[in-house]
Amino acid sequence: MDTLGHILNGFNVALMPINLWYTFLGCFMGTIIGILPGIGPAAGIGLLIPITFGMDPTSALIMMTGIYYGAMYGGSTTSILINTPGEASSVMTALDGYQMARNGRAGAALAVAAIGSFLAGTFGIVALTLLAVPLAAIALKFGPAEYFCLMLFALAAVSSLTGKSAAKGIISTVLGLMVATIGIDLQSGQPRYTLGVPELQDGVGFLIVVVGMFAIGEVFSNLEAHIKGKAEIIRLEGRLWLTREEWRRSVMPIIRGGLIGFFKGVLPGAGATIATMLSYTVEKRVSKTPEKFGTGMIEGVAGPEAANNAATCGAMVPLLTLGIPGSGATAVLMGAFIMYGIQPGPLLFEKRPDLVWGLVDSMYIGNIMLLILNLPLIGIFVRILYIPTGILLSLILAISAIGVYSINGNTLELQMALMFGVVGYLFRKIDIPLAPMVLALVLGGIMEQSFRQAMTISDADPRVFVGSVICVTLLILAVVMLLLPVVLPRLRALKAGPEDLDS
Amino acid sequence: MMIDRIIGAAALLLTAVYLYATTKIPTLDIGDPLGPKAFPILLGIVMIAAAIMLFIETSKAGPVTAKEAPAESRRHLWMIGGVTAWTALYFGVFDAAGYLVATVVYLFAMMAVFNRGKWLANVLTTVLWAVGSYVLFVKILGVSLPAGLLKF
Repeated sequence: MDTLGHILNGFNVALMPINLWYTFLGCFMGTIIGILPGIGPAAGIGLLIPITFGMDPTSALIMMTGIYYGAMYGGSTTSILINTPGEASSVMTALDGYQMARNGRAGAALAVAAIGSFLAGTFGIVALTLLAVPLAAIALKFGPAEYFCLMLFALAAVSSLTGKSAAKGIISTVLGLMVATIGIDLQSGQPRYTLGVPELQDGVGFLIVVVGMFAIGEVFSNLEAHIKGKAEIIRLEGRLWLTREEWRRSVMPIIRGGLIGFFKGVLPGAGATIATMLSYTVEKRVSKTPEKFGTGMIEGVAGPEAANNAATCGAMVPLLTLGIPGSGATAVLMGAFIMYGIQPGPLLFEKRPDLVWGLVDSMYIGNIMLLILNLPLIGIFVRILYIPTGILLSLILAISAIGVYSINGNTLELQMALMFGVVGYLFRKIDIPLAPMVLALVLGGIMEQSFRQAMTISDADPRVFVGSVICVTLLILAVVMLLLPVVLPRLRALKAGPEDLDS
Repeated sequence: MMIDRIIGAAALLLTAVYLYATTKIPTLDIGDPLGPKAFPILLGIVMIAAAIMLFIETSKAGPVTAKEAPAESRRHLWMIGGVTAWTALYFGVFDAAGYLVATVVYLFAMMAVFNRGKWLANVLTTVLWAVGSYVLFVKILGVSLPAGLLKF
């Protein structure tokens, strides 16, 4: 068994001291980024890419992935202690987690979040390990037409699932694709939409958009919230452990949350945020006392926290095996892969098994590290919350300046990042989801190339896109995804929870 | 909702500009049969469809879901506008003034507004941050930041 050998060999890579160190660093920074308001995993990874340039790609990617799943752990801390979710995927945790904290059970809420995350996260990595090989084998058979249809499906799913309105999701997606067309056209060598600006010939830098929209824009939103009012921090008290009764009540929600989370994570567009909402709804529905939800039910913390960590692992499946990310944060992670000259996808499993499996196996280790960081050491991290918001947000803007400037040493790019920051801030105000735009920007180039390659092969006959079973299936799924928001509300009139799904 | 109509109109306007710019791309007889214009035109069509979809969604939703921004949020918009202008100025002098000087001035003013009254803490964080990050990024991580007025 060749594959098993690769998987086991991945541990050799992951256990190398240098990679252990980067796993730790990633998890550590991820936890902080998860706790900090105003900066999420997407911005965190985006800011680090230029700084880590020149590092060994395997180590760098291990660290960035650590930030991604580490942030999911950290996000729960702010939800529970200050009722301000650090990430969109922690919104559901705040509902009962904050109430538990107010009832003096902050320790138990943090503990169940950490343990649930660990168990579901580990389950998620096992599932990722098992699913990756067969999926990559199927994806190897994909031609340009199949790839185009697959991207169409991913974008359709993200457009229709990440916001309140499918139309706004599509607008965001097309905007990202349009930005991706700026620069020199690879096939004909013609400059497009560059307005004669030499900096635009290579296209609009992906990092500029990410730092702009996810760091600067997010800071603007937070500044506004900061002017409006302050959140009170609940002091951590009580033992960081669960009573036997609390443990008994948490087991099933963790298992259910883990399953929901993983499968939602694999699907593009659904992602961690929707997984947490679904998990919360399920827990409320199976509970004998649904009316108590929102008053500090431990099931309402255990389920969603398990779900969002399993979803993080699930989201790695399409990224690694197909090279198609399904969310904003994984899109940035894919951007990181590409910056290191590594194209994620089925070929990567053949060419660089050491990198793929080293990365996947490092997640097992990272999960253990995160459990330690988030249980015994959480008291130290909580202190970050005592940094005054005004100082913190100002510093994030300064870090963004360093991050963007270090790419090319160009101040025009700084102004462009600021422009995208304002756009990101306005989009949040008017409910246009950001994730579809960033995803479209990452996929735009490859999408146009596969579109044109497919048309070249078929001699400009568009029937090539309905020429195989895979294409037709994906196209039907894409249409179903777009129709979903129209049909679903009629199917189920009952739906609880916040609707801000921008993750 | 009024705002959604504006979004739809803005999307249409943007698409018009984009498609106009598309017609200006010169085509040569090299490369693939589709050329550099086909995909952008396709994008334009999808965008127009999405804008129409948004108009339909809006007219269906009716005035029930309408939520107008309260007047006090105007003040926040001014505040964010001010931060944007201040940040644009910071980025504008980034090269000439150098990272240290520009960052100290920028951060100090930001904190004076958003962390009002805590002068000592603000001054300390500003200076420590600017110097610390400069040393960390430039001297240790090898990231290039402009030295500007202060050379060391």
